[in-house]
Amino acid sequence: MKYWEDIKVGDTGDLGSYTVTEKEILAFAKKYDPQPFHLDREAAKRSIFGGLIASGWHSCAIMMRMSVEHMRREQLAGVGSPGIDSCRWLKPVRPGDTLTVRTEITESWRSKSRPIGFVRRRADMLNQHGEVVLTVVGVGMFERKGEPRPARRADT
Amino acid sequence: MNSSGGMSGPLYFEDVTVGDTERFGRYEVTREEIIEYARQFDPQPFHLDEEAAKASPFGGLIASGWHTGAMLIRMLNDHSIPRAATTGALGFDDLKWVKPVRPGDILSVETRVLEKAESRSRPEIGVVKVESRVSSQDGELKMSLVSIVLYRRRP
Repeated sequence: MKYWEDIKVGDTGDLGSYTVTEKEILAFAKKYDPQPFHLDREAAKRSIFGGLIASGWHSCAIMMRMSVEHMRREQLAGVGSPGIDSCRWLKPVRPGDTLTVRTEITESWRSKSRPIGFVRRRADMLNQHGEVVLTVVGVGMFERKGEPRPARRADT
Repeated sequence: MNSSGGMSGPLYFEDVTVGDTERFGRYEVTREEIIEYARQFDPQPFHLDEEAAKASPFGGLIASGWHTGAMLIRMLNDHSIPRAATTGALGFDDLKWVKPVRPGDILSVETRVLEKAESRSRPEIGVVKVESRVSSQDGELKMSLVSIVLYRRRP
Protein backbone atom coordinates (compact mmCIF):
# COMPACT_ATOMS: atom_id res chain seq x y z
CA MET A 1 0.00 0.00 0.00
CA LYS A 2 1.16 3.56 -0.72
CA TYR A 3 0.32 6.26 1.78
CA TRP A 4 0.35 10.06 1.92
CA GLU A 5 4.08 10.01 2.81
CA ASP A 6 4.82 8.18 -0.44
CA ILE A 7 3.37 10.97 -2.59
CA LYS A 8 5.83 13.83 -3.24
CA VAL A 9 5.43 17.32 -4.63
CA GLY A 10 6.59 17.20 -8.26
CA ASP A 11 5.52 13.57 -8.78
CA THR A 12 3.98 13.12 -12.22
CA GLY A 13 1.63 10.38 -13.31
CA ASP A 14 0.00 8.90 -16.37
CA LEU A 15 -3.53 7.59 -15.83
CA GLY A 16 -3.72 5.45 -18.98
CA SER A 17 -6.13 5.94 -21.87
CA TYR A 18 -9.87 5.79 -22.51
CA THR A 19 -11.79 5.83 -25.78
CA VAL A 20 -15.18 7.53 -25.68
CA THR A 21 -18.13 6.07 -27.60
CA GLU A 22 -21.11 7.92 -29.03
CA LYS A 23 -23.37 5.52 -27.15
CA GLU A 24 -22.02 6.55 -23.75
CA ILE A 25 -22.05 10.27 -24.64
CA LEU A 26 -25.76 9.94 -25.49
CA ALA A 27 -26.54 7.84 -22.39
CA PHE A 28 -24.86 10.31 -20.03
CA ALA A 29 -26.54 13.27 -21.72
CA LYS A 30 -29.97 11.66 -21.55
CA LYS A 31 -29.64 11.05 -17.84
CA TYR A 32 -27.83 14.20 -16.66
CA ASP A 33 -27.20 16.87 -19.29
CA PRO A 34 -29.84 16.78 -22.06
CA GLN A 35 -28.67 19.82 -24.05
CA PRO A 36 -29.11 19.33 -27.82
CA PHE A 37 -25.37 19.31 -28.63
CA HIS A 38 -24.86 16.43 -26.14
CA LEU A 39 -27.99 14.48 -27.03
CA ASP A 40 -28.96 14.83 -30.67
CA ARG A 41 -26.56 14.22 -33.56
CA GLU A 42 -28.46 16.40 -36.03
CA ALA A 43 -29.03 19.30 -33.64
CA ALA A 44 -25.36 19.10 -32.65
CA LYS A 45 -24.31 19.50 -36.31
CA ARG A 46 -26.21 22.78 -36.44
CA SER A 47 -24.74 24.00 -33.12
CA ILE A 48 -21.56 26.04 -32.68
CA PHE A 49 -19.76 22.76 -31.94
CA GLY A 50 -20.47 21.30 -35.41
CA GLY A 51 -21.21 17.83 -34.04
CA LEU A 52 -21.99 15.78 -30.98
CA ILE A 53 -19.83 16.56 -27.91
CA ALA A 54 -19.68 14.99 -24.46
CA SER A 55 -21.07 16.81 -21.42
CA GLY A 56 -18.24 18.44 -19.48
CA TRP A 57 -19.49 16.54 -16.43
CA HIS A 58 -19.07 13.33 -18.43
CA SER A 59 -15.43 14.24 -19.19
CA CYS A 60 -14.89 14.81 -15.46
CA ALA A 61 -16.53 11.45 -14.69
CA ILE A 62 -14.17 9.72 -17.16
CA MET A 63 -11.20 11.43 -15.49
CA MET A 64 -12.45 10.13 -12.12
CA ARG A 65 -12.73 6.61 -13.53
CA MET A 66 -9.17 6.80 -14.79
CA SER A 67 -8.00 8.14 -11.39
CA VAL A 68 -9.67 5.30 -9.47
CA GLU A 69 -8.09 2.70 -11.75
CA HIS A 70 -4.71 4.41 -11.30
CA MET A 71 -5.12 4.41 -7.48
CA ARG A 72 -5.90 0.70 -7.63
CA ARG A 73 -2.91 -0.11 -9.84
CA GLU A 74 -0.60 1.94 -7.62
CA GLN A 75 -2.28 0.70 -4.41
CA LEU A 76 -2.76 4.26 -3.18
CA ALA A 77 -4.66 4.57 0.11
CA GLY A 78 -7.04 7.31 -1.08
CA VAL A 79 -9.96 8.32 1.16
CA GLY A 80 -11.82 10.83 -1.00
CA SER A 81 -11.64 14.54 -1.75
CA PRO A 82 -12.90 17.72 -0.05
CA GLY A 83 -13.19 19.56 -3.36
CA ILE A 84 -11.86 20.98 -6.61
CA ASP A 85 -10.11 24.34 -6.96
CA SER A 86 -10.79 24.74 -10.65
CA CYS A 87 -12.11 22.83 -13.66
CA ARG A 88 -11.86 24.11 -17.24
CA TRP A 89 -13.50 22.51 -20.26
CA LEU A 90 -11.00 23.74 -22.84
CA LYS A 91 -11.95 21.75 -25.96
CA PRO A 92 -14.91 19.55 -26.86
CA VAL A 93 -14.68 15.77 -26.35
CA ARG A 94 -16.19 13.93 -29.34
CA PRO A 95 -17.21 10.32 -30.09
CA GLY A 96 -14.17 8.17 -30.87
CA ASP A 97 -11.71 10.44 -29.04
CA THR A 98 -8.98 8.58 -27.17
CA LEU A 99 -8.23 10.45 -23.96
CA THR A 100 -5.14 10.31 -21.78
CA VAL A 101 -4.53 12.07 -18.47
CA ARG A 102 -1.25 13.32 -17.03
CA THR A 103 -1.02 14.50 -13.45
CA GLU A 104 1.36 16.47 -11.26
CA ILE A 105 1.38 16.85 -7.48
CA THR A 106 1.77 20.54 -6.65
CA GLU A 107 1.32 20.66 -2.87
CA SER A 108 1.16 18.34 0.14
CA TRP A 109 0.21 18.88 3.78
CA ARG A 110 -0.83 16.93 6.87
CA SER A 111 -4.23 17.17 8.47
CA LYS A 112 -3.96 18.64 11.96
CA SER A 113 -7.11 16.95 13.22
CA ARG A 114 -7.28 13.57 11.45
CA PRO A 115 -4.81 10.76 10.67
CA ILE A 116 -4.68 11.68 6.97
CA GLY A 117 -2.74 13.89 4.59
CA PHE A 118 -3.81 16.11 1.70
CA VAL A 119 -2.28 16.58 -1.75
CA ARG A 120 -3.15 19.12 -4.43
CA ARG A 121 -3.01 17.67 -7.94
CA ARG A 122 -3.26 19.17 -11.40
CA ALA A 123 -4.68 16.79 -14.00
CA ASP A 124 -4.67 17.53 -17.74
CA MET A 125 -6.79 15.40 -20.06
CA LEU A 126 -5.56 15.28 -23.67
CA ASN A 127 -7.12 13.93 -26.84
CA GLN A 128 -5.38 11.91 -29.56
CA HIS A 129 -4.30 15.17 -31.27
CA GLY A 130 -2.38 16.25 -28.16
CA GLU A 131 -4.89 19.00 -27.34
CA VAL A 132 -5.69 19.59 -23.67
CA VAL A 133 -9.47 19.16 -23.42
CA LEU A 134 -9.88 19.41 -19.64
CA THR A 135 -7.79 20.68 -16.73
CA VAL A 136 -8.80 19.91 -13.14
CA VAL A 137 -6.92 21.13 -10.06
CA GLY A 138 -8.19 19.41 -6.94
CA VAL A 139 -7.33 18.09 -3.50
CA GLY A 140 -7.12 14.42 -2.53
CA MET A 141 -7.02 12.83 0.92
CA PHE A 142 -4.81 9.84 1.73
CA GLU A 143 -4.19 7.64 4.76
CA ARG A 144 -0.94 8.21 6.64
CA LYS A 145 1.63 5.49 7.18
CA GLY A 146 1.47 3.74 10.53
CA GLU A 147 -1.66 5.61 11.62
CA PRO A 148 -4.95 3.89 12.43
CA ARG A 149 -7.39 3.98 9.52
CA PRO A 150 -9.46 7.21 9.67
CA ALA A 151 -12.37 6.69 12.03
CA ARG A 152 -15.93 7.33 11.06
CA ARG A 153 -16.29 11.06 10.72
CA ALA A 154 -18.03 12.82 13.54
CA ASP A 155 -20.38 14.51 11.09
CA THR A 156 -21.66 11.30 9.49
CA MET B 1 -35.24 38.65 -7.01
CA ASN B 2 -35.92 36.19 -9.76
CA SER B 3 -34.12 36.59 -13.06
CA SER B 4 -37.01 35.02 -14.95
CA GLY B 5 -39.64 37.33 -13.48
CA GLY B 6 -42.03 38.46 -16.17
CA MET B 7 -39.58 37.83 -19.00
CA SER B 8 -40.44 36.19 -22.25
CA GLY B 9 -37.87 34.78 -24.64
CA PRO B 10 -34.38 33.74 -23.68
CA LEU B 11 -32.36 35.49 -21.00
CA TYR B 12 -29.41 37.34 -22.48
CA PHE B 13 -26.31 38.69 -20.74
CA GLU B 14 -28.10 42.03 -20.34
CA ASP B 15 -30.96 40.33 -18.45
CA VAL B 16 -28.66 38.90 -15.77
CA THR B 17 -28.16 41.00 -12.63
CA VAL B 18 -25.53 40.47 -9.97
CA GLY B 19 -27.33 39.22 -6.86
CA ASP B 20 -30.10 37.40 -8.76
CA THR B 21 -31.11 34.38 -6.67
CA GLU B 22 -33.28 31.38 -7.51
CA ARG B 23 -34.25 28.21 -5.69
CA PHE B 24 -35.43 25.15 -7.58
CA GLY B 25 -35.08 21.44 -8.19
CA ARG B 26 -36.06 18.19 -6.56
CA TYR B 27 -33.73 15.25 -7.08
CA GLU B 28 -34.43 12.06 -5.17
CA VAL B 29 -31.22 10.12 -4.64
CA THR B 30 -31.58 6.35 -4.71
CA ARG B 31 -29.21 3.61 -3.68
CA GLU B 32 -29.56 2.03 -7.14
CA GLU B 33 -28.50 5.21 -8.91
CA ILE B 34 -25.55 5.79 -6.56
CA ILE B 35 -24.27 2.27 -7.27
CA GLU B 36 -24.94 2.52 -11.02
CA TYR B 37 -22.97 5.76 -11.35
CA ALA B 38 -20.17 4.39 -9.14
CA ARG B 39 -19.84 1.19 -11.19
CA GLN B 40 -19.35 3.23 -14.32
CA PHE B 41 -17.25 6.15 -13.09
CA ASP B 42 -16.13 5.95 -9.46
CA PRO B 43 -15.84 2.33 -8.28
CA GLN B 44 -14.60 2.97 -4.74
CA PRO B 45 -16.02 0.70 -2.00
CA PHE B 46 -17.90 3.48 -0.14
CA HIS B 47 -19.84 4.32 -3.36
CA LEU B 48 -20.48 0.70 -4.39
CA ASP B 49 -21.11 -1.57 -1.48
CA GLU B 50 -23.23 -0.96 1.63
CA GLU B 51 -21.21 -3.29 3.87
CA ALA B 52 -17.83 -1.88 2.81
CA ALA B 53 -19.25 1.63 3.17
CA LYS B 54 -20.32 0.93 6.76
CA ALA B 55 -16.74 0.08 7.62
CA SER B 56 -15.43 3.23 5.87
CA PRO B 57 -14.98 6.70 7.41
CA PHE B 58 -18.39 7.60 5.93
CA GLY B 59 -20.32 4.98 7.92
CA GLY B 60 -22.60 4.06 5.02
CA LEU B 61 -23.13 4.28 1.28
CA ILE B 62 -22.48 7.76 -0.20
CA ALA B 63 -22.74 9.15 -3.72
CA SER B 64 -19.63 9.94 -5.73
CA GLY B 65 -18.97 13.66 -5.50
CA TRP B 66 -18.91 13.79 -9.30
CA HIS B 67 -22.32 12.14 -9.28
CA THR B 68 -23.62 15.01 -7.14
CA GLY B 69 -22.20 17.35 -9.78
CA ALA B 70 -24.07 15.41 -12.46
CA MET B 71 -27.29 15.69 -10.43
CA LEU B 72 -26.72 19.46 -10.21
CA ILE B 73 -26.35 19.81 -13.99
CA ARG B 74 -29.57 17.79 -14.38
CA MET B 75 -31.45 20.19 -12.09
CA LEU B 76 -29.98 23.14 -14.01
CA ASN B 77 -31.12 21.53 -17.28
CA ASP B 78 -34.63 21.11 -15.89
CA HIS B 79 -34.85 24.77 -14.86
CA SER B 80 -32.28 27.37 -15.89
CA ILE B 81 -30.45 26.19 -18.97
CA PRO B 82 -33.35 26.02 -21.47
CA ARG B 83 -34.27 29.67 -20.74
CA ALA B 84 -30.77 31.08 -20.87
CA ALA B 85 -29.08 32.29 -24.05
CA THR B 86 -25.82 30.55 -23.21
CA THR B 87 -23.16 28.92 -25.33
CA GLY B 88 -22.07 26.65 -22.50
CA ALA B 89 -19.74 26.98 -19.53
CA LEU B 90 -15.97 27.39 -19.41
CA GLY B 91 -15.87 25.35 -16.22
CA PHE B 92 -16.16 26.00 -12.50
CA ASP B 93 -14.12 27.08 -9.49
CA ASP B 94 -14.17 26.37 -5.80
CA LEU B 95 -16.19 23.14 -5.77
CA LYS B 96 -16.66 21.95 -2.19
CA TRP B 97 -18.06 18.55 -1.27
CA VAL B 98 -19.31 19.71 2.11
CA LYS B 99 -21.27 16.68 3.35
CA PRO B 100 -21.87 13.21 1.90
CA VAL B 101 -24.97 12.63 -0.25
CA ARG B 102 -26.81 9.47 0.81
CA PRO B 103 -29.68 7.30 -0.44
CA GLY B 104 -33.00 8.97 0.41
CA ASP B 105 -31.65 12.52 0.20
CA ILE B 106 -33.84 14.89 -1.79
CA LEU B 107 -31.63 17.56 -3.30
CA SER B 108 -32.47 21.07 -4.45
CA VAL B 109 -30.42 24.03 -5.70
CA GLU B 110 -29.98 27.69 -4.88
CA THR B 111 -28.20 29.79 -7.49
CA ARG B 112 -26.85 33.31 -7.09
CA VAL B 113 -25.19 35.53 -9.69
CA LEU B 114 -21.85 36.69 -8.26
CA GLU B 115 -20.25 38.62 -11.12
CA LYS B 116 -20.73 39.54 -14.77
CA ALA B 117 -18.29 40.98 -17.28
CA GLU B 118 -18.28 41.70 -21.00
CA SER B 119 -15.80 39.65 -23.00
CA ARG B 120 -12.97 41.79 -24.43
CA SER B 121 -12.15 39.40 -27.23
CA ARG B 122 -15.70 38.38 -28.18
CA PRO B 123 -18.14 41.29 -28.27
CA GLU B 124 -21.13 38.96 -28.72
CA ILE B 125 -20.43 37.19 -25.39
CA GLY B 126 -20.56 38.01 -21.70
CA VAL B 127 -19.10 35.97 -18.84
CA VAL B 128 -21.27 35.33 -15.77
CA LYS B 129 -20.15 33.69 -12.52
CA VAL B 130 -22.97 31.83 -10.83
CA GLU B 131 -22.75 30.12 -7.46
CA SER B 132 -24.78 26.92 -7.08
CA ARG B 133 -25.49 25.47 -3.63
CA VAL B 134 -26.94 21.95 -3.45
CA SER B 135 -28.78 21.10 -0.22
CA SER B 136 -30.85 18.20 1.09
CA GLN B 137 -34.45 18.30 2.32
CA ASP B 138 -33.34 19.17 5.87
CA GLY B 139 -31.42 22.20 4.63
CA GLU B 140 -27.97 20.64 4.97
CA LEU B 141 -25.50 22.06 2.42
CA LYS B 142 -24.01 19.16 0.46
CA MET B 143 -22.01 20.80 -2.34
CA SER B 144 -21.26 24.24 -3.69
CA LEU B 145 -19.39 25.56 -6.72
CA VAL B 146 -19.04 28.66 -8.88
CA SER B 147 -19.81 28.10 -12.58
CA ILE B 148 -18.34 30.31 -15.28
CA VAL B 149 -21.08 30.62 -17.89
CA LEU B 150 -20.95 32.27 -21.32
CA TYR B 151 -24.09 34.27 -22.12
CA ARG B 152 -24.90 35.75 -25.52
CA ARG B 153 -25.38 39.51 -25.72
CA ARG B 154 -28.80 40.76 -26.73
CA PRO B 155 -28.75 41.01 -30.54
